[in-house]
Amino acid sequence: MEKQSPDWTDAMNLLTAHRQSRWTVKYTADRFFRFLCLGSVIFLGAVLGAIVLFVSETGFLVFRDVSLSEFFFSPHWDPEHGKYGAAVFIAGTLYLTLVTLLITTPISICVAVFIAEIAPPWLRQWLRTLLDLLVGIPSIVYGYLGATLLIPWIREHTGAPVGDGFLAAALVLSIMILPTITRITDDALCAVPNEWREANYALGGTTFQMIVRVVLPAAKSGIAAAVILGMARAIGETMAVVMVIGNVAQWGFDLVTPSSVLTSHIVMQILNVDFQSTTNHALYMMALLLLMISISLIMLIRRLRLKGGAS
Amino acid sequence: MKRTTLWKRMAAAVLSSALLIGAAFTTQYRADAAEVSGKIVVAGSTALLPLTQQAAKEFKKHHPKVKIVVSGSSSIAGPQSVAKGVATIGACDWDATRAVGGFPAYKGLKAYKIAKIPFAVIVNKNNAVNNLSVQQIQDIYEGKITNWKQVGGKDEEIVVINRAKGSGTRVNFEDKIMDGHAIKTSGDNYKEVQKSGDMVNAVSSNPNAIGFVDLAYVKGGIKAVSINGVKATTANAASGKYVFYGYGYLLTKGEAKGADKAFINYILSQKFQHGSLKKLKFIPVK
Repeated sequence: MEKQSPDWTDAMNLLTAHRQSRWTVKYTADRFFRFLCLGSVIFLGAVLGAIVLFVSETGFLVFRDVSLSEFFFSPHWDPEHGKYGAAVFIAGTLYLTLVTLLITTPISICVAVFIAEIAPPWLRQWLRTLLDLLVGIPSIVYGYLGATLLIPWIREHTGAPVGDGFLAAALVLSIMILPTITRITDDALCAVPNEWREANYALGGTTFQMIVRVVLPAAKSGIAAAVILGMARAIGETMAVVMVIGNVAQWGFDLVTPSSVLTSHIVMQILNVDFQSTTNHALYMMALLLLMISISLIMLIRRLRLKGGAS
Repeated sequence: MKRTTLWKRMAAAVLSSALLIGAAFTTQYRADAAEVSGKIVVAGSTALLPLTQQAAKEFKKHHPKVKIVVSGSSSIAGPQSVAKGVATIGACDWDATRAVGGFPAYKGLKAYKIAKIPFAVIVNKNNAVNNLSVQQIQDIYEGKITNWKQVGGKDEEIVVINRAKGSGTRVNFEDKIMDGHAIKTSGDNYKEVQKSGDMVNAVSSNPNAIGFVDLAYVKGGIKAVSINGVKATTANAASGKYVFYGYGYLLTKGEAKGADKAFINYILSQKFQHGSLKKLKFIPVK
């Protein structure tokens, strides 16, 4: 309640000064925030770049001691005797992924179709929740169940003495990536406009015709993205695989012979090698291969998504 | 006003008591403090980890000025981290100053033998075989004997389980049992596992499996076979009658100095060797 009687211009000056300072503060904060965001992006980029750079720098050292053709095409991995062929692991990774997808893709699509098109709404909600829960289960749990339940079962039913191998790994991986593929396929199916379904019925088509002729083709790029995402997870999976694959550097195309893939081989060996040894460099090269495979898969997904447009 | 004084008083009381307690502690530390100080970083073998952890716990009580960090990843990480200067003490399941198990000799390191580690060749609990000779184990791992029938068991194919290349247990197995004979690392009856725990799981879940592990791990669905007719016990390993044992080593860069030396001396002391070390199922070397 103090009484002051400053003159009018003074008051105006004060007010503008006050305003100006407020504006400056606001803009400084603005600018600061911009730099913070930009800095975060640069940080992320630098980290990613550093990973690729470091892994490839160490990885390419392997070719000082091992020829390109030996590393990629020789199946003999025996570092003690100077043999560094990684063909078993590379082919193993591709083969395991293929078998996994052959098992899991049809099942996933059927489950997704059931959820999106057939199931009553209450069941639909339950199933979606269930699948979301399954996505969150750590892979070591799947691996442990595979090692304790699945392998004795395989041994009993195939007569294989060990039971570890691509069959066990592919089954574990299939169960693991099934919820991922199903949920994304489900989303893709739901993105198909309802009018199209109604048009099918208006033309006298059955539900089966609607699903096979209308919905699935319309959602095809979304489904492809789902499968590739599942594939990326399967290729990179380590813990679940190392527990059931047997970890032997030999071909395992008959599905029940213990074999090895890139991820499981790296995790088996990486702690037990000398930093400066060719073995270590070879392991880094394998890591680089994995990195390249998953990067190209992600790029493929982006391209599919762009092409697919709405879905 | 009243409230503020109350707060002030309480704060003063808390502060002074804290000071008092602090002072009490400092004097106590001063009274106890030995002349050694510094930082000890132990890295390497997971098999020796229980031992180094226990030793660190006890050592800290006697030397509160010393900071100890103990970790375990793999045997070869021990000498490597010491050579690189990441750790001051490296724990290893073999003498890394010599070339062993395909690893190079680490020059410039000094190895201290701290404990004898008994190992066991294990089979499934339901396996009828209770004894194997060293020769038989060699033949099984070389792939010359492939059926349990050939060593007095059932007519079943033997499933050979091995640890990953470079595992400390495998290095000792190759050194003490295989004795220069190469393990056959292929075939549909052969597999490798990552850790001792995985080995136990693999053998207990397969009735025809054979494997090897630290004696301390033998329980549950597996059993240790006698080797050359000698039972796998710590007593037999201590006397040397049982042949499958190895030594645990601590490695330092050059001669151990200061806190590192005090720590190693503590582990080698009679009190620790015959107390905690024995309790952890290792065998004293002193």
